[in-house]
Amino acid sequence: MAARSTPLRHAPPAGPGPAARRARRWPKVSRALLFAAPGLVIYTAFVLVPLITNVANSFTDLNTFRPSTHWVGLANYRALLDDADFHQALHNTVVLTLIVTILPNVAGLGIAMLLDRSGWFTNALRSVFFVPTVLSAVVVSVVWQKILTDDGLFNRALHAVGVGSPPGWLSDPDLALYSIAFIMSWQVLGFCVVVYLAGLQSIPAELHESAVIDGAGALASFRHVTWPLLAPAVTINTVMLMITGFKAYDYIQVITNGGPGSGTTSTIAFSIVQTAFTGNHVGYAAAMATVMFVGIALLSAGALTVLQRREVTL
Amino acid sequence: MSSSTASWLRPLVSLFLAACFFLPLYLVLVNVFKPSQDIVAHPAALPVPATTANLQAVLDRPDRLFWYGLVNSVEITAFSVTIVVVLSAMLGHYLARTAGLAAKVTLLILLSGLTIPSAVIISSLTRVLDSFGLMGTIPGIVLADVGYYLPFGVFVFMGFVKTVPVEMEQAAAIDGAGYFRTFWQIVFPLMRPATASVFIFLGVWIWNDFLNPLIILGPDTGTTVTVGVYRAIGEHQTDFGALFAFMFLASLPVLVLFLLFQKSFVKGLTSGATKG
Repeated sequence: MAARSTPLRHAPPAGPGPAARRARRWPKVSRALLFAAPGLVIYTAFVLVPLITNVANSFTDLNTFRPSTHWVGLANYRALLDDADFHQALHNTVVLTLIVTILPNVAGLGIAMLLDRSGWFTNALRSVFFVPTVLSAVVVSVVWQKILTDDGLFNRALHAVGVGSPPGWLSDPDLALYSIAFIMSWQVLGFCVVVYLAGLQSIPAELHESAVIDGAGALASFRHVTWPLLAPAVTINTVMLMITGFKAYDYIQVITNGGPGSGTTSTIAFSIVQTAFTGNHVGYAAAMATVMFVGIALLSAGALTVLQRREVTL
Repeated sequence: MSSSTASWLRPLVSLFLAACFFLPLYLVLVNVFKPSQDIVAHPAALPVPATTANLQAVLDRPDRLFWYGLVNSVEITAFSVTIVVVLSAMLGHYLARTAGLAAKVTLLILLSGLTIPSAVIISSLTRVLDSFGLMGTIPGIVLADVGYYLPFGVFVFMGFVKTVPVEMEQAAAIDGAGYFRTFWQIVFPLMRPATASVFIFLGVWIWNDFLNPLIILGPDTGTTVTVGVYRAIGEHQTDFGALFAFMFLASLPVLVLFLLFQKSFVKGLTSGATKG
């Protein structure tokens, strides 16, 4: 380690002898070994090495049930370009990401502004909105699946109020993806509400008062005071929602298993797991995974850059 | 709209929206305590008289799916969270107090791990675990979780180390405490809010995790309660009561955790929303 450390002990000025130099050097090395190494070794072994071997595998025809593996160059990536199933998964992922980024963001801001009062009532309602956030995606998926399935509670309620043939929310290929986007939005809404509430409550009341004195209406006050000062909260929510939408897997697996029909709700994450563990085409799945990793890295880096540029400090 | 109208309209609208929002969970809650035939006939009615038959049925399953899952979930979550807290507190402190290129690059590599979806590495991860003979074992999934969630811990602790005055550490060093003792006796106790954040968030995330236990533990070695819910879906196509009771029991620990530590939850979530 060539790193300079913040001096923690006032070591006496050491002589130039090799023994003294060793003595000075030793705590630095042992500190790195003791404090940095254990975490870094585990991270390297179980995150970095898989990440790198994944890229390496994407240039092979690795298959769980074939004894020999060959380098195939860019063949997997070239195949991805013509793979209609992958294109559909990519398209579905983009649709999900867009809806899940926008819907809870907007609804969460609205609800946060509605709840933006202090007191037990606000705190209680905030908790109500937050509960789904601590539940597992599997539980949330099962709950909504039982509600939205063809003869589920929702359609029976629609029947009761006179809707003759209610839509198949999860069985109609044109609807299922949007139903899943709605379910995901429902689960993450509370996160946005809590983050926006904290953002709103950090805005000094004097700023709104002076805006009103300057003749600003509610809309102008929101546009010129609330919105700019809410920028850090917008950044957190948007980046978190984009990543949530982009990596959607659990919901698809539990609610529709990629269907109805062939891959109408499949996402990239779902395709990767299916291709690797059901299809056993590990090399091909690795190419998908590499595309996904690059995609999510660009997406979050891009969003962070754009959003943080408009953050202002008081 | 006069301001007096708004003053009662606002809580009313909020309450109405919250009630609509909560309806799906209400349906689960009331039906956990109803006999199955009542669920089909009156899904939204209150459970009067309430029955614990559904909960009993889950707890008394002959295959003990819930209990095996519970033991696994508790073990995996407790070990993973504790190890992440210890390792990421030390690593976060080390990186925050170390200048120079190597530390910066290490930090960058760690933080890039924050956005890696499990699906990207899961296939290669099974190969790594397999080569250590760790597939299908609790230590295997614990190590995988520790690696995966370490960046989050480092991120939280590093942000917090900066609020601990370096003079305190220097004073401890002058008094003869080594780096190790200085950290555990002086610095770590001061970082309690960060520790609470990491404990709570990772507790919830690892408890609720689906893909890792599904693939790494596999069907033979057993499941966590979360994967148990998934396995229970198929067998309870019509028995809503038993399925809802399983989900209720599987979620109870995180719900209790949330209710107990609500304040820390919100604080941990919102520390970044109010900077400046």
